[in-house]
Amino acid sequence: MKLVIDENRCKGCNLCTKVCPYHIFREGKKLNRKGIAVPELDRPERCTNCRLRNLYGRQLCGVCQLTCPDQAIHWIDEEPYEPHKVAIEY
Amino acid sequence: MSFEDWYRADRLPHIFCAGCGNGTIINCTLAAVEQMNWKREETVFVSGIGCSSRAPGYILTDSLHTTHGRAIAFATGVKMANPDLHVVVFTGDGDLAAIGGNHFIHGCRRNIDLTVVCMNNQIYGMTGGQGSPTTPKGALSTTTPYGCAETPFDLCDLAIAAGANYVSRWTSYHVKELEKAVKVGLETPGFSFIEALVQCPTAFGRRNKFRQVADHIEFLKTHSLLRAKRDRLLEKGEPVPEDMFVVGELMRRNRPAIGVKP
Repeated sequence: MKLVIDENRCKGCNLCTKVCPYHIFREGKKLNRKGIAVPELDRPERCTNCRLRNLYGRQLCGVCQLTCPDQAIHWIDEEPYEPHKVAIEY
Repeated sequence: MSFEDWYRADRLPHIFCAGCGNGTIINCTLAAVEQMNWKREETVFVSGIGCSSRAPGYILTDSLHTTHGRAIAFATGVKMANPDLHVVVFTGDGDLAAIGGNHFIHGCRRNIDLTVVCMNNQIYGMTGGQGSPTTPKGALSTTTPYGCAETPFDLCDLAIAAGANYVSRWTSYHVKELEKAVKVGLETPGFSFIEALVQCPTAFGRRNKFRQVADHIEFLKTHSLLRAKRDRLLEKGEPVPEDMFVVGELMRRNRPAIGVKP
């Protein structure tokens, strides 16, 4: 699974930066077409739901999706053979 | 299937201000409704007037957007006309506590099988930030420019006193707990009341030192006192902090209810 922020829906409230336990969301700096700084993703491959959703077959964590007041955060299935970065956390 | 399927995708993004907590509460409610496996044709969302009451317009079911304060009255009618329907009421504090207070207490008294989700932003957000019955003491608003001098309404205590079957209070920070509370409320026969404190950055936060949305969320996080902890404090005879509000499941009981299918 892959974490996606919908630029059309995001209003730039930065609540996701507050609630994610991994601090995957960072405040964006670049304004988009609507004049909104959409948060950036910081190594999104660390996200629990991205890694383990298909293994467990259910929604894991998902606090950012529930918290997002504008329904801008969701997960999509990856294309087959998409290159992955390996994130090791100590 | 996730709760996102319950939204009318063509209506989004919604009209709420950036950082408004109402969207969070709708997410949690829909996530709970999603777990109930209800058919869309058998679910009705009812609302009154206000910011929070715009919610059913974004949901892909039958809905009623009714007159100010009368959401519970209309929902009672819907439920009595067809007890097979599952009725969820979205309402705000100005809608429920101020103009619709009487409908609310009589809904609790009759213990009719509804689930009421109250998004309490402690101010009249849509009309420009006037003080509402739940504005905390000392808070600034356009009608209380020197600080609110009145004691605010405790909606959960009101619902318990009037006889609701299930009462709980959470905030827009406690999303998972709120989702579970709404689910229990949907399962409970009889009147279930869930109060959700939300941030209002435009009307409330701007005047009350919560300019950033994150500041208000931090306030909700640090000033919420779990019910179990409150009970422990009372048992030990220690004082409960004045500025904190109690969160958690406040009441669950089995009074006779109407509108429940046998």
